[in-house]
Amino acid sequence: MQEVLNTTELLAIPALPLIAALIVGLFGWALKETLSHTITTASVIASAALSIHVFTQVLDGSSYYGNFWEWMISGSFKVPVGMMIDQLTAIMMITVTIVSACVHIYTIGYMHGDPGYSRFFAYISGFTFSMLVLVMGNNFFTLFFGWEAVGLVSYLLIGFWFKRESANFASLKAFIVNRVGDFGFAVGILAIWYYFGTIDYREVFDHVETFVAQGHMLSFMGWQMDAITFICLALFVGAMGKSGQVPLHVWLPDSMEGPTPISALIHAATMVTAGVFMVARCSPMFEFSETALAAVTLVGAITAWMCATIGLVQNDIKRVIAYSTCSQLGYMFVACGVSAYSVGIFHLMTHAYFKALLFLAAGSVIHAVMAEQDIRKMGQLRKYMPVTYITMLIAALALSGIPPFAGYWSKDLIIEAAAVTEMGWIGQFAYFAVLSGVFMTAFYTFRMFFLTFHNSDRVPEEIKPHVHESPWVITLPLCILAVGALAAGYWGANVLHMPGVGNEVQGFFGTSIFVLEVHDPLLRLEEMEHAGSIGLMIEFGPLMLALSGIGLAVLMYLRKTSMPKSLAKAAGPLYTFLLNKWYWDELYAKVFMRPAQCLGNWLWQKADLAMIDRGILHGMIVDSVASGALRFRAMQTGMVYHYAYVMVIGVFGLLTWLLLKA
Amino acid sequence: MANATFPFPENLWIMIPEMIIAVMAMTLLLVDLFVAKDKKYLIAYATIASCVLAIVALLNIQSADGLMTFYGYFVYDPFAVFAKILILVATVFTVILSLDFMKDEENVGEYYCLILFAVLGMMLMASSNNFITFYLGLELMALSIYVLVAYQRDVLRSTEAALKYFILGSLSSGMLLYGVTFLYGVTTSFDFNAIGQALASTNASAHIAVMLGMLFVIAGMAFKVSVAPFHMWTPDTYEGAPTPVTAFMSVAPKVAGFVVFMRVLVDAMPAIQHDYTQVLIVLAGLTIIVGNVAAIAQRNIKRMLAYSTVGHVGFVLLGLIAANQEGYTGALMYLTIYLFMNMGVFAIIILMRRDGIQGELIDDFAGLSRVRPGYALAMGLLLFSLAGIPFLAGFWAKLLVIAAVIKAGHLYLGVLAIVFSVVGSFYYLRLIKYMYFDEERVTFNFIENNGMRFSVVVCALAVVVLGLYPDPVIAICKNALVGLI
Repeated sequence: MQEVLNTTELLAIPALPLIAALIVGLFGWALKETLSHTITTASVIASAALSIHVFTQVLDGSSYYGNFWEWMISGSFKVPVGMMIDQLTAIMMITVTIVSACVHIYTIGYMHGDPGYSRFFAYISGFTFSMLVLVMGNNFFTLFFGWEAVGLVSYLLIGFWFKRESANFASLKAFIVNRVGDFGFAVGILAIWYYFGTIDYREVFDHVETFVAQGHMLSFMGWQMDAITFICLALFVGAMGKSGQVPLHVWLPDSMEGPTPISALIHAATMVTAGVFMVARCSPMFEFSETALAAVTLVGAITAWMCATIGLVQNDIKRVIAYSTCSQLGYMFVACGVSAYSVGIFHLMTHAYFKALLFLAAGSVIHAVMAEQDIRKMGQLRKYMPVTYITMLIAALALSGIPPFAGYWSKDLIIEAAAVTEMGWIGQFAYFAVLSGVFMTAFYTFRMFFLTFHNSDRVPEEIKPHVHESPWVITLPLCILAVGALAAGYWGANVLHMPGVGNEVQGFFGTSIFVLEVHDPLLRLEEMEHAGSIGLMIEFGPLMLALSGIGLAVLMYLRKTSMPKSLAKAAGPLYTFLLNKWYWDELYAKVFMRPAQCLGNWLWQKADLAMIDRGILHGMIVDSVASGALRFRAMQTGMVYHYAYVMVIGVFGLLTWLLLKA
Repeated sequence: MANATFPFPENLWIMIPEMIIAVMAMTLLLVDLFVAKDKKYLIAYATIASCVLAIVALLNIQSADGLMTFYGYFVYDPFAVFAKILILVATVFTVILSLDFMKDEENVGEYYCLILFAVLGMMLMASSNNFITFYLGLELMALSIYVLVAYQRDVLRSTEAALKYFILGSLSSGMLLYGVTFLYGVTTSFDFNAIGQALASTNASAHIAVMLGMLFVIAGMAFKVSVAPFHMWTPDTYEGAPTPVTAFMSVAPKVAGFVVFMRVLVDAMPAIQHDYTQVLIVLAGLTIIVGNVAAIAQRNIKRMLAYSTVGHVGFVLLGLIAANQEGYTGALMYLTIYLFMNMGVFAIIILMRRDGIQGELIDDFAGLSRVRPGYALAMGLLLFSLAGIPFLAGFWAKLLVIAAVIKAGHLYLGVLAIVFSVVGSFYYLRLIKYMYFDEERVTFNFIENNGMRFSVVVCALAVVVLGLYPDPVIAICKNALVGLI
């Protein structure tokens, strides 16, 4: 059933949250809390329902491609605004809108009574709009628009409690670090326009093959490379910024300064995955650049491994999950890098459900213990909040990759794909990183889980009477997402067949993702399965490691609870090193911030104040204008004969000049 | 002479607007005697009515371009019509501004009649195509305005201002006439076109005489439009004159003066364009510098606006220097926009009266935004427009003339204009700073007058609308040039 989707319906999906955001954002001061959240939540739920409808149609083979409007035409540079809906877009749309709808409902309970209540709802609805534009657009401009818009909303929301200094600092950090990435992204888009003469997805992707065959080269800072490699690397720099990949990951853990629903929606489930989506969307380009794929794999593997090690020792419940997010994003990039884009997006989807669930459950805990985020001051909470306990257990199992929970299906495939890839040492390193990452992931997840819900009761006495299960508006989204964390993996793998093999329309993604046959690790896996040559290590290794990670957590935090302390003492420097997050912040402070501050100070004091202000402006311009003004005033004596004198002198001066010149 | 016959002039009907004004002026002068003192506003209404009537007449006269009457001494073309409409609109604003301000003066009826006579003079100037009509119109206008400036004859500075203006005005008229005699001596004609043709074929021996004539004529005209160094009267006269008269003087005579200026340059002096352009460049540069710099040192807003006028006149001159369609369009556009900007600003100044004393010092504007946010907003818009901030009308005015003068090859003059418009924006912005960021220093009793409020709103709206969508007015200005070039 090859049909074209309904344009009105497609337009309504992003338009509804936008309109709601505008209404609540502009007139929120006049609206009651109930009205604010009703408008935004209803619009996002409607948008989610429409997305699901679109998704079912896409499953039947419908698609959409079209432009609505020429935003700008300058010579040969055209900037259209349009949509392209295919399988990749559809899966993103349902993920974004469903998680967003859950977060909207959750926020009603979580932010109740906050002075910025309606502002918050306006932001998250606006975010939903921006994210939908990002995924639904049909060219690099709409992608860039959505990219920057989500960045803006992210900035606004991290600094939502703008009276807190740390929140302001974190929002600025996020914004500035993202600027670095976005610069690369913009360069990539400009390079695409320069080489292809268009920014439309279809036109660009159709021409990639001939373009590569022509062998365009360019020299970048003395480094010869293919034009396509340059474009892909530049785009990937943008993805690194947005998706928190090393070395641009530093903003993501700090972004936890924002209210918890934001951490769930923006900094775990949707926005930060934009980089992965972009790489998958541009698979027709990345496939033609071995260098870019290697870079994606390497960066993803380093992030997956490094952030997992940091996660082992963090004490802030949200930070543990935040580093886990970085690490899982690294997994997705490894998947993309080894050309298993479909698996990367699959993991993106499952991760969205269980990670949003983890965050929202953590928020529920934080809500219960009066805004305490230190897991050392929790414990035994399962007695007080059973729903949160159960849902968080589901999410933790899913994150650790225990079957049949969602994470197992997608993460296992990523590791298998990394195992069979033929990328030389990068492939081997990636395999090692993601494999050892599984162990660490299971350990830190259950460390956090046990310290929160089991272990000894360390909740301060004065808080204890307040600890209680959260209201239904908070637990309902937890249950909805728990269903996703339970079933999304099985559903994606066995019903949708998301990890599609080859370029034939076998898997769910069909032609929306492009993979060269020589790269395809899934094809290789299938062949090996036929030949029966997959080793036990590849097939069961990850599960064993996950189980042993959980086992270690059980041992350390349930059985022998004195062990962590002695271990930390024994590991001394290593422990401090991890606790201080590998000293990235300190490194950046030394290498970039200090010099930039010094330069800024110097420019301010010497160049601006001393030279421009005092030297040029006051020394030359302002003083001469002011004295000129006074001189003119002095000439205005009020005496008629002076005035007449000036007139006559004027005429005769001009006359003399004119006649002498002739 | 006995044989000289003067048949009844043909096409006399193209003078109907002038006739309306002339007849109304004289009628009102008589009627005024029979109007009770507290009913004098009727005279003002009649003045407005006659201006409106004249505008209607102007818009309805169907005539071929360049139709003449009075034996070729009076020309009727789109250019003249456009200028006359501007003058009449400015007059309507002036009368509205005067209604409250002048109501306690003696013989206020005469005041409105004098305005009408000045308007008649200006309309004659706009339609003049030879030096005789030009001079007649000029003197009619000037003499009426001398009296208007001195209208508050008990106020010392008012009479002083008028006397200064009168003496210097006489000097400038003398210069103008002196220049005209030279041109007549060389070409034996007063007619602009005839002079133009004759100058094209004069031999080199007459060069000095032509230069003398050109220079003195330009000096005479420059005086009327406040071009430096013939601007010295402006600040004193603006300050001393009753404020509505200042508003009138800052707009209407400038329009009339520039219109006749353009006619003289285009019709009578095309042969010596190279020479007059050099003179104008010097004058324009000097005017822009003096106007924008001197305004900074002023504490009295009327004096400040006097220098501001000088500065703007310098910008209009840029259009004349470009001497092509773009330049003249820019100049006309500038005058149109300037009319609204200045009338609006003066309306607000007049509104700010406290206990019978005018709010005239710029300090008086401190904190206006808190007392009267509406007026402060309107004033802010008008001042931003005067400073040439996009996208308000003043920006387009400056852009058009500067673009024209740069295209005509005078890049340095364009740069100078831009630099000094930056300097000039200082004193406009300072006033906005006073209004919005400073504490209130004096308390005001605002005049409550719907007519003036209406003027403020119209002017502020015009500035915004023309700023956002200037194209139709630019097209009108372009069409008005059909009669000129």
